[in-house]
Order: sequence, then C-alpha cells, then structure tokens
Amino acid sequence: MSKESATVRIWKPSEKLPPRIKKLRDEYFSFYDRDYFRNEVRAYTTGMPGDPVWSPHNWGVVPELFPFMKGMFDALRALAEEVKVPDDFWKHTIAYRRGLFFKIVLEKYLPVKILEQELIVGSYFNTALSKVLRPDEQKEWYKREFRWYKKLEFLNDVGIGNTGAIPGHIIPNYPKVLKMGMKGIVEYIESEIEKETDKEKIEFLQSMILSLESAKMLSERYSWEARKLAQEEKDPQRKEELEEIARITAKVPWEPAETFWEALQSIWITHMLVMAAESYPGAGLSHGRFDQYMYPYYKKDIEEGRITKEFARELLMAYWIKHNYVYDYQGRVGQNQGINSGFGQLMTLSGKGPNGEDMTNELTWLIFDVIEDMNLLEPKPNIRVHKNTPEPVLKRITSMVTKTQGSPFLINFDEQAIKGLLWQGMPEEEVWDYAPVGCLENTFQGKDRSGTVDVNINLLKAIELTLFNGRDIRTGKRIGLKTGDPRKFKTFEEFKQAFVKQLKYIIDKLLELAMEADAIRAKFEPIPYLSAIVDGCIEKRKDVTAGGPVYNFITVEGIGLANTADSLTAAKKLVFEEKKISMDELLYHIQNNFEGREGEKIRQILINKAPKYGNDNDEADAMARFVSQLWTKYVFTKKSPTTGRRFRGGYLSWNYWIAYAPAVSATPDGRRRGTFLANAIGPIDGMAKKGPTAEALSVGKLGLETAPNGDSHTMNFSPAMLRDEEHVEKMANFLRTYNEKGGTALQINIIDADTLREAQKHPEDYQNLLVRITGYNAYFVMLGKEMQDEIIARESHKL
Amino acid sequence: MKLLQENRISYNTDENYAMIFNIERFSTEDGPGIRTTVFFKGCPLKCPWCHNPESIDRNPQLVWYSVRCIATMDCIKACKENALQLTPEGMYIDRIKCTACGDCVEACPSGALELIGEYKSVEEIFDEVMRDNSFYKNSEGGVTFGGGEPLLQYYPLTRLAMMFKEAGVHTALDTTAFTAKKILNMVLPYIDLVLLDLKQMDPELHIKYTGVPNKTILENAKYISQVHKKKIWVRTPVIPGYTDQDENIEAVAKFIKENLPTCERYDLLAFNNTCKDKYDRLGIKFELADTPLMRRGRMQQLLDLAVRKGIPTTYWTGTVRD
Ligand code: SF4
Repeated sequence: MSKESATVRIWKPSEKLPPRIKKLRDEYFSFYDRDYFRNEVRAYTTGMPGDPVWSPHNWGVVPELFPFMKGMFDALRALAEEVKVPDDFWKHTIAYRRGLFFKIVLEKYLPVKILEQELIVGSYFNTALSKVLRPDEQKEWYKREFRWYKKLEFLNDVGIGNTGAIPGHIIPNYPKVLKMGMKGIVEYIESEIEKETDKEKIEFLQSMILSLESAKMLSERYSWEARKLAQEEKDPQRKEELEEIARITAKVPWEPAETFWEALQSIWITHMLVMAAESYPGAGLSHGRFDQYMYPYYKKDIEEGRITKEFARELLMAYWIKHNYVYDYQGRVGQNQGINSGFGQLMTLSGKGPNGEDMTNELTWLIFDVIEDMNLLEPKPNIRVHKNTPEPVLKRITSMVTKTQGSPFLINFDEQAIKGLLWQGMPEEEVWDYAPVGCLENTFQGKDRSGTVDVNINLLKAIELTLFNGRDIRTGKRIGLKTGDPRKFKTFEEFKQAFVKQLKYIIDKLLELAMEADAIRAKFEPIPYLSAIVDGCIEKRKDVTAGGPVYNFITVEGIGLANTADSLTAAKKLVFEEKKISMDELLYHIQNNFEGREGEKIRQILINKAPKYGNDNDEADAMARFVSQLWTKYVFTKKSPTTGRRFRGGYLSWNYWIAYAPAVSATPDGRRRGTFLANAIGPIDGMAKKGPTAEALSVGKLGLETAPNGDSHTMNFSPAMLRDEEHVEKMANFLRTYNEKGGTALQINIIDADTLREAQKHPEDYQNLLVRITGYNAYFVMLGKEMQDEIIARESHKL
Repeated sequence: MKLLQENRISYNTDENYAMIFNIERFSTEDGPGIRTTVFFKGCPLKCPWCHNPESIDRNPQLVWYSVRCIATMDCIKACKENALQLTPEGMYIDRIKCTACGDCVEACPSGALELIGEYKSVEEIFDEVMRDNSFYKNSEGGVTFGGGEPLLQYYPLTRLAMMFKEAGVHTALDTTAFTAKKILNMVLPYIDLVLLDLKQMDPELHIKYTGVPNKTILENAKYISQVHKKKIWVRTPVIPGYTDQDENIEAVAKFIKENLPTCERYDLLAFNNTCKDKYDRLGIKFELADTPLMRRGRMQQLLDLAVRKGIPTTYWTGTVRD
C-alpha cells in the first residue's frame, strides 16, 4: 500500500550500532575534543638546509590551494621534525634513501596510538616526508618544480586546465600481502637481487625491502603497545581483545593472514602506510574488489566457528571508521573550505566474474548492511552492476539509494566500463576483474597506475579561443592559435576546423606540463614502499612513479563537454544554417556577456532555438559525440616521454566545472561568464527536458569507450519517484537498462529542493545530510554557500 | 444538463495523424514498468477536477508562460490575426481570433509561448515512443495511450496500437470508457491493459459532474472485462466533495468485485491542485482552485473500505495533508 511522503527522511547512522562502534564513530567526529589523538600532518626532515617535505606537483590539480601553496610549503618545512640519518645515507640512490628514511621514521618517530575499544589499530599516518635530496639534486628539483608551477598557474588562471603528478589513485596488491605476507614479498625481492647486477637497480630493490621492513617494525610497535595496555586493563574481556590485537599485529602484515580479523588488520596497516609513504591522505587510494578477496577469510572463520556474523560486522565497522581519519589532515581548516569531502578510498563491491557470472557473496551483503548502518564518508563504495546482476542485489542497491538520498555509493556499469578498457588495449581475459579507484576511474587491481586525476582540460575554453581568434578576452592575451576571424568563415565546417585546432593546441600545452610533472616525480620521488606492493615494479626494476606497474596511463579528464557541444550546435544551426543570428552579433553579445535587452534576446534564442545535448536529440547528441571522440582519441596518441605512460581520456571533472566558470567568456550555448559549466558528461543544468531515459540514451551515444577512464554522470530523482516497492523496482530496471545503453558510472541524488533549503537554513538539524558532488559525497552543511546554491538549483531543475 | 456537446464527441477519422499534446517519457504512474505516455487531445467528459485541462478541447491551444517572457514583443509583431496584446496583467490572448497557427511561438526567442496540441503522424509518434524500447523490455513497461480520451481518435489509435503490438511493446489504454462498443471492438484486440477511470457511481452525480451518464461507461467496463477479457486497472480520482464519499468508493469496489473479473488492481488517486497554473494559462476557470488536499488518514480509510469490499489490491497515491 503506497504512500507519498512530503519530507525526506535524512540518512543517519543506525540506532542499532554496537556500543563500541557508536563510541568510536562519535570519537572520530569529535575532532576538537580529542586532544589525545589527532591524525594531523607530521612533517619529517633530514635537516638538510632547504629540504622540501612537500611537492606542489602533488597538488597541482587542486587550484583552490594555489594561494596557500607557498605558505604550506614553508610551514611544513618549518614544522618538520628532524630525523637523524646515518652517516653514509647520502651515498645511496634516492630510492634507497627514501626506503631507509621511511624505515627510520616508522621505527623511531611516528607515534603509535591505540584508541579505547579499538579492534583494528593503526592511527598516525598523515605525513610530510623529506624528499631526501642532496644539495645538487635539490637545486635541480627547485628549479624545475617552480618553473613548472609558474606555468601551471598561468594555464589555470586563463581557464585552460590544471595538471600534476598526483599520488594515490591506485589499488595496491593487498591480496598478495594477505596471501604471501610482506615476508614472502621480501623473499621474492631477495631472489631478484641475486639475479641483478646493476648497482642502482639493486639499491632500488633493497629500498623496497627496507620499506616493507618498516611496516613490520611499525606493526610490532602496535603489538607492544597493545600488550602494554592489556597488562594495565582491568576489564577481562577488553584485556583478551588487547592480547589478541597484540598477537595479530605481531604477525601481520609480515606473515600471511589466516583469519578475518588478521586480514582486516593486515590491510589496514598496509593501506595506511601507503598514505604515509606518499605523504598523501587517502585520495583515491583504493581497495579494489574487497568483498572478493576478503570472502575466503570470512567464510572460513564463520564455518569454523571462529567468529559470529555479528562480530564480523563489528570488525568491519571498526575497520570502516579508521578510513575516515584521513580527514584529520584538514581537520582545522576543513569546515569552511568549501569542497573538501572527497578523499575517496574506494571499495569495489559485487560485479561480474570471468564468465559473466555474478560475484556477489555473503560478505557483500554484510557490507551493504555496514554501509547503510554506518553513514560515513569513507571508505567509499562503488558497486559494480552488470547484465547478470541478480534481481535481489539490484533491488537492495536501489532501496539503499532510496533510503540514503542516493549518497552511499556509486554504481559502476561493467559492460560499459569494460568496453572502454578493451578499447584501451587491455587483455580480454583480465578485463572482468577491473576495479575503479577514487570515484569511478577504471583501472586494474594491484598492477596499474593510471594517474586518474592528473590532467584536467577545460574543453569549453577552445570555444572562446575559436570565437576570438586565439585570444582570452578577459586579458586580451593571445593564448591560443591564430585560426582566423570567425566573421569571415563561410561555413560551419570552417568554424569547426578552427575549433579542432584550438582544442588540440590547448591540450598540447597542458600535456607538456603533465609530462614535466611526471618526469620530475619519476626522477626525484620514488615510492619504494608502494612499488613493492604493485605488480610489475619489482620485475621491471622501476618505481611505481616511473612506469613500473604492469599498466601505466595518465588520465586526462574533460570538463564542460555539454557546453562545448551545445555551443557548436547553436553556432551551426543559428549562425551558419538558419542565419537567425550573425557571427558579428554573436561576438558582440558574447563580449558584452549578453548584457542588455538585445543581449538577453540573443541569449534566449541561443538557448531555445537550437537543440541541446541530453534530450535524446540526434543532432545535438551527434555534436557531443564529435567533441568527445575528438579529444579523447587525440590524447590517446600521446605519451609521456620519460615514463612511457600513455594518455587516456575520461570525465570526472571534480569541482572544476565551478572553478573555471569565471575563466571562460560567455558561450554560444547561452551561458554567461560565471555560470557553472556542465558537470562531467551531464547535460547543462535545466536543459535536459525529456527525463532520465532520454538523458541516459544521450550519454550512451557519446561512444564513451574512447574515454576508458570512466565517466561521471549524476542524476537527480525526486523522493516521490521512489516512494514504494513498485517504484523501487522501476528504478532498478532503469539501472539495468542504463547498463546496456548509458555510461560507465552513475551517481544518484534523491532529495528535493525544499529539504536542501531547510538544511541551508538550519544546518544544525542536517549534520548527516550527504549529497553527491561529482563522484564523491560531501556533507551538505559543510559546503560553501555557492556550492549549496548550485546543488539546490540542480535539484529544482529536476522533472 | 446538456449532454454530449457536439464538438466534444466528434471523432478524428484521419488514421495517419493524431492530435497529441504530449509524449511523456519515463512515465511511472500509468501502468506497469517504465512507460511512455502518449497524450491524446480531446475528451467527451468535462470533469471540473481535471488535472490535464489542456486535454479537454480537441483543438490546439496557445498558452503563455509569464516567467519565460522577456517582453521583446516579437510575438505581437508576428501575429497576423492581431490576437495578442501584452497588458499589465500579462499576455492577453484573444482566443476567438487566434487560429493557432504558431507563428508567434516561432517568433518568441524565449519559449514563452507554446502551442499545446499538434497533429503528429503515427510514424512520428511510433518512432519517438520506440526510443525507450530497451527500458520497456527490462522493466516490463511499454506505451500508454492517455489523454484526454484516446478513443475519440480511434482510427490513428488503432493503427498505433497495432504497430506497437507488432513491435512487441506492451500497450495500455487509459480511458473513460465513454465510447461505443464497435470502437472498443476495433481497438481492444491490440491493447494489453485497460486503465479504466470510474469516477462516480451515482448516475445523477456522474452526469452533474462530468456531463455524461455513467450507464454507458459501466456497461463498457463489463464488456471490456467479460467479453474482451482484458486486464483492467480501475482508477478513481478522489476529489473532495465530488467522489470521496464512502458510498462511492464502496460502490466502485462492489462493482469491480461483481462485474470485472479481469480487474487486477484498484488505485485511489488523491486530488491534486498543482494544475491550477495550467487553468490560468488556458484562460479557463478552475472551480476547485481552493479545494484543500485530501488527508492522509482519509485516503487510508477509503482504501480500507475498498479492501473490505473485497478488492485487496487497492492502493492510494498522491500528495496529501497529514
Ligand atoms: S498562434 Fe497564430 S494566431 Fe494565435 S496568437 Fe499566435 S500568431 Fe496569432
């Protein structure tokens, strides 16, 4: 019997959380009250004058940090604790030095903390580690890094895009650590050393061993701490737990894991130390198909009566909470920095097996419950849906989406995602086992670094440059090519060719910088710890930053697709074909930002008299396809020379669709300067008027396999649309069809504008309200006002 | 009360074109699964609560959206009939002069004028509906013919229904059943599900509110169920003061129980007043403009009544007050 509810019930943590979990969860959220533990950045230096502990190129894709870049750089250096290094330290290769430095820090400097009641331990991991550079190396590093950074600032300021060599965004081979233990990996590396003659390569291999030994060392320190606490503990049950923790941390990750608890603890230490080694909190460091490789441990423990399902749930919850401590990195600045809530330690669930069969298991179902009960940002689940996803799984997913405003996870669509990976040249027999990182960026597990957020190109800038013969009209500077005065173009074809040239030109400019960032990192900043747990690096004797993994790409994410396509469609139809508007008029009003009555009239014609992408209109969609294919195929022809990593396309567009709004002039899609661009592969806000099926089909027409990284698509549904069982089923079938016809990944918002307005007015009542931004969640009340307004506008547009 | 006004009962006899006022994709309220609803313009009934007032008149109608208007006056210049005037109260449309030629719509830069209703070829309608075929397949959805009263245009309707049947698409017909048996005989073979509106069981009240007697409707309902053996979903708009009496809902339920063996479910649709703006734009008075929404508890009561009368598959939907 159905009902329609007027108000949305906001997703909250379950009332039935075990008391321990409730305590641990609350403790995490009480950032200012936990004076005894905050996982804030801890900087460590060799004491060498000028020693950098922080790399701008790691943060090149976060333009909102640029104003603080210098400050952060200096502050961390000043705060850094000096680490005593041995006398012969400087004789070694950079890789060896980094391995050794890591070991000393973990052995003697990084504090150890076990919180009351914790089951999974490992607390401090946010670091800023010395680059361990000698003065001569430092000199080169500084010169190249800051020259690079200056160029980056320019390209960002004029709205062409941004780039960096970004850590994280990778799935280390955790199952290997579980199975072989780090000890096993060390033994393997040792056998490789025996075969190796090149001194530098031997040092590289040794640096990995040093790194893995560091993990052992740190884990043992936790074991001692647990043993100490156990001795002091009065409560016999907790005492027993602490003794078990002491036993487990003495064993894993060095030895193979044998129980579910051991496996969770092993991964946590391994995982948090990747963040420590890269000095990068969480972003995109992902688990891969967690429910698959963890299942044997779970099953065995349940079957042998070692744990109950309830305790397994509690362990998982304890494990879940740990991931959120990445946000302590920005704890003090977090609240008012606008977008800040998207670290994205992605966990892949469900999905298909080698023969197209569904891989959902008991553990997957248990994790669904954990996600729903916990109401946390991290780890971020991504659920793989495919042709053979069973009805109950799809329904469970849909009803979770419904109950949680759509926020708890992303949905990845196997068939579409796999098409892209095959297009990218990945082996047929492996593609079923892909997993996304970060948000929805498709990669392979344990052997793939695809730099999934390293380059972000603003496609729409090429429209401005085409209209004004290569000039940025705000500064008057020529930043593009001279492609001619468009008033002289006789046909749309000429206009289009000019656009193609401008777009390729700005891509080239940006990729040059991407290549330089890649080169600087590869030369100066190896991460031996991560290399040891990513396949390919040992065999190739190459670091994870230098093309060591089996698969290596650098991903270019496109911004403003819909605006670019609709601008071209409007110019074609209204200027060249129907001649409703002359090029002269168009340029005049664009320069005037469509001010005045006449300007507004022209703007309205541009909006209303030309078809728009997102409505299953073949003409508009064909243009969007043209743009998408053009740039994605173009970047795929390029490689970064130092590392050999090939560029590939995708659509994530993070928050850049907002950031670049002021940097692009008004455009022929009827957009004024300052109005946000369209998000990733989505249509322009308010322009998709034919409903979700039409929008999904438009997306499907892009031919997204040429953007194999994966493509962010956010859709909004009203709560009434999902009010009962019958409608949940309709939604589930919508998803099933999206898998056949749409894009690679979908995030769903189920919220109404009224609820959001309430939340804006009374933030205190809506602390738990999560909303989707683009591939990631954020607490609505923690977003900046501008962003909140944008989300409200987006909701109001919904049909 | 005068019955059957001439212009409302005349049939569209051109089998290639239908007068349509909307094709709504991702329609989730008109039958099973994900559907597309084709709205036929023109209706023989005249219910004062109609939430699609644009569906009643069988001719195209011009409407003006104040929020979109940027007052460029292009429409006024374009109109050959001098039918438009921008007044301080908004656009005045002289509906006697207006021939619904659409020149103003074309001229308006901002989309503030819209012509509701156009003749579309059956092929064009078919193609547009078929775009979502993959969604119908996965959700066991399909096409719904709604309106208005689609049966007023039974020639193009039959052709469309045949085309969809042939393409393997599930077809639903949303109808008042105020029609002739021979028309039902013609259309129903190509229809999988009939969404049947039973509004008011009291014959006097039915004539009073809708302008037509319910005798034909009830007879046709039986005929659809017993002779054509078509699956039926009965729907009653629950309108405060018009159809929301206990006796009415009980009588509908009783009628279903006794006469409609193929009825699968019964839906109570709570009155909604969001159509007020549409009435304004069409220049029609909405008599129920100030009628409050139904109360949640009352909907539940009516539902319980129907269930007690032997229709366990009764549901209610709509916006309500608490
Ligand atoms: S539809 Fe034609 S006749 Fe009617 S107002 Fe517009 S231009 Fe005039």
